[in-house]
Amino acid sequence: MVEPILRVEKLGKRFALAGKRGVLLHAVDDVYLDIAPGESVGLVGESGCGKSTLVRVLARLLDATEGRIVFDGQDLAAIPAARFARLPQRADIQMVFQDPTDSLNPRYTARETIAEPLALLSGLRGAAATARVDEVAAQVGLAPELLSRFAHQLSGGQKARVGIARALAVKPRLLILDEPTAALDVSVQAVVLQLLDQLRRDLGLSYLFVSHDLNVVRLLTDRVAVMYLGRIVEQGPSEALFRAPQHPYTRALVSAIPGQGPRIRLTGEISSPIDPPPHVCRFASRCPNMQDRCQREGPLLTDAGSARRVACHFPVTAAAAA
Amino acid sequence: MSTAGHVRHVLSENPVTLVASAMFVMFVALALFGPWIAPYDPLASNAAVALKPPSAAHWFGTDSLGRDIFSRVIVATRLDLGIAFSAVLLSFVIGMPLGLAAGFFGGWWERIVARGADTIMAFPLFVLAMGIVAALGNTVGNIILATAVINLPFYIRVARAEANVRRSAGWVEAARLSGNSEARILALHLFPNALPPAMVQVSLNMGWAILNAAGLSFIGMGVRPPEPEWGILVAEGAQFIVSGEWWVSFFPGMALMLAVFTFNLLGDALRDIFDPRRRT
Amino acid sequence: MTQPPLLEVKDFGLEFRTRGGTVHALQGINLALHKGEIVGLVGESGSGKSVLSYAMLGISDRAARVTDGSATFGGMDLLQADERTLADLRGREISMIFQSPRTALNPIRQVGLQIEDVLRRHAAARGPDLRTSLRERAVQALREVAIADPERRSRAYPFELSGGMCQRVMIALALACRPSLLIADEPTTGLDVTTQAAVLDLITGLARERQMATLFITHDLGLAAEYCDRIIVMHAGHAVESAPTKALFTRPRHPYTARLISSTPDENSRIDSLAPVPGNLPDLRRNDLPACRFAERCERAQDRCRSERPPLDAGAGHATACWHPLHAAEPAHG
Repeated sequence: MVEPILRVEKLGKRFALAGKRGVLLHAVDDVYLDIAPGESVGLVGESGCGKSTLVRVLARLLDATEGRIVFDGQDLAAIPAARFARLPQRADIQMVFQDPTDSLNPRYTARETIAEPLALLSGLRGAAATARVDEVAAQVGLAPELLSRFAHQLSGGQKARVGIARALAVKPRLLILDEPTAALDVSVQAVVLQLLDQLRRDLGLSYLFVSHDLNVVRLLTDRVAVMYLGRIVEQGPSEALFRAPQHPYTRALVSAIPGQGPRIRLTGEISSPIDPPPHVCRFASRCPNMQDRCQREGPLLTDAGSARRVACHFPVTAAAAA
Repeated sequence: MSTAGHVRHVLSENPVTLVASAMFVMFVALALFGPWIAPYDPLASNAAVALKPPSAAHWFGTDSLGRDIFSRVIVATRLDLGIAFSAVLLSFVIGMPLGLAAGFFGGWWERIVARGADTIMAFPLFVLAMGIVAALGNTVGNIILATAVINLPFYIRVARAEANVRRSAGWVEAARLSGNSEARILALHLFPNALPPAMVQVSLNMGWAILNAAGLSFIGMGVRPPEPEWGILVAEGAQFIVSGEWWVSFFPGMALMLAVFTFNLLGDALRDIFDPRRRT
Repeated sequence: MTQPPLLEVKDFGLEFRTRGGTVHALQGINLALHKGEIVGLVGESGSGKSVLSYAMLGISDRAARVTDGSATFGGMDLLQADERTLADLRGREISMIFQSPRTALNPIRQVGLQIEDVLRRHAAARGPDLRTSLRERAVQALREVAIADPERRSRAYPFELSGGMCQRVMIALALACRPSLLIADEPTTGLDVTTQAAVLDLITGLARERQMATLFITHDLGLAAEYCDRIIVMHAGHAVESAPTKALFTRPRHPYTARLISSTPDENSRIDSLAPVPGNLPDLRRNDLPACRFAERCERAQDRCRSERPPLDAGAGHATACWHPLHAAEPAHG
């Protein structure tokens, strides 16, 4: 059993609400996640599920309220985000953002954007930095003449490549990709996805790939975790999970993909993430299978065989689905 | 496109910009080289030629002490522009960081800075300037200080607005991932992005500051005679308008007007030069 | 189809005059939409699909100039019509649903009132007590788009509603006066997958129920496949293929369509099975564009493609604008 490169234990992030004392918004609760070296793990969920918050805590842009983020034997959650920015470990975990336009400083050229982390984290300047920028630009398929351009002079696909190059420049071991192709056209997306797949294999990187597009996640990940209202509700090998989802929410999600046959409609109100009662399943209010037990006992993520884990009292297994 | 090419492009794109830039260059030249260009000593009085209308010998005529108005107007450029430039620079250097920090960090800091700026703006600004000069004394330094203080809120506002909008931008987060400390983000990422709108402000402020200094001098609270300064020159000529010697006030007034006009027009050009998004 | 088309576009061309040059946004577009049909207009960004729909409604950017062709709605010439006629048409006969619901709604006006505004504009309610009847009609419109508790929600402001709800409000707004043609421009961009499905089910359900002709503009082939009867594929301002949905996916005739289909991941894709479209979209400001604008990206291109533009016949069942299509044309069915 290979030692995971990232081990997340009981991670929680709660926000205090302005004006209300003692009331907390539970953005992320009780998250356990492992990523092995060279593995690509997907994170899916809809808006409000907490995946953006989770990802920002893991990238150490936000501080966790509780829990551990063990990377290379060291608990990163114990280091405040502001201090982490200046440690050498900052280079080990990098991120590619969703909106390539928004994630590039409009006043920096592509070269300056990619060179900045080199200067601050790898201590490379001058000729050494230029060489490295050229090297990583070639790796991501960014033509050299584009490096002197500003963000608004580049196309969507080119901007996406600059973002990837910037993240790769400092040789990270874990790359967090937050919907990296959501803002791109379908044909550009295909090219970028193939590039990401190639890079992972060539450079031995691990990926945490966040997306709302289940088909894309299926393509690019080995394992996937599904989040709902701050908790992971199902986790397992990607192909198997999408082919035979067990958690009712995952089933609804998969059925909503166009072309997947009859749609499972979710009715009912979404429960509030503010001070949620701990002994109630958060999906209960919309679950088509909801029963008594769901309102009395919060389900925990339990082993369901074949590396699958589900947080549900009544998961839909192959036998039950028949 | 290179920086020089871009500047050339901005200037040639719009004839107004070109005119404004040319006039700007002219004023700067006058400010720098005024005393050497002026045909007469601006302080030399000659009672024999007092209150003579514009002529070949005295292009702008002479004042009540026989001093050549043309020379006085030219030499005054240095003082007026100098006061305005110093005041705007002071405002910029203090106001921008305050505003950026307020917008970026928010919380108590923002509240204090914003209320401070609001307090200044609550006063009729010219009256406030008068008050400051009256309290501290009639020196050029105090005029600069007063003008700087009343212009502070403009920079605080611009910077704060920019920082507020941009602090949740993706590239700010990306900057943190790249190893930037918060201070570096403020200085090297946010500040350059706040420059283009600030530049427009700078230009308009220059025009305003010139007017302010002239206004203070006009009412006797600024620069003291016989130092040539446009406001004073206008004041000196005010009493002669009714009696028909119009030129004593007119030419300094024109100079004042043209200077403010130039800086107002220049605002857009400066912004275009500084904003990389205008580059094609 | 024996009945005449509701919306008919023939050989339509449009350009934008900008400081950076003339953008040849659309050329030779042929389109026919019949009552009760749901047609998908599929293309990537820059393909001109939104530009086309805005031109139909007369709300193009000021820099737009129609260069050729005609567009008629129910026999009426849309291009020659004056602003007043078009304004009467919009909302009442032809409606549009926009991309970002939150920005398309007035943020400082209650949603119920916004619906009432549309109703009032088109004098859709009459009778002695106009205010009550307008309010009731607005609440009814919200009910028809499956918004729970419509009475209360009609007094909400857009910022109080979720993205999916805002989109439903926009649909209610668009359909309040029972238009005969609906243009839905990327109505589900930015919405979650489950909300997206629900919104599209709603739109297409209402369309079928009211026999409303619908033009569904999207960049998502998967969605188009799921909801449309017929699909028109656009590339760089040209309509390159027009076919019934099933035929388009089983036998795509235009090389671009084939590549588009193969670069869209589905449940059977593998990362190496994606075959993206090579090259980039041509710059539409160029004066030396090849006659077939896909020529520079196409492995089947030959001289004729660069010099002569292949036509698209909107009448034929499965038409493509290509000199060397992937499959031969099927014999026309009656």
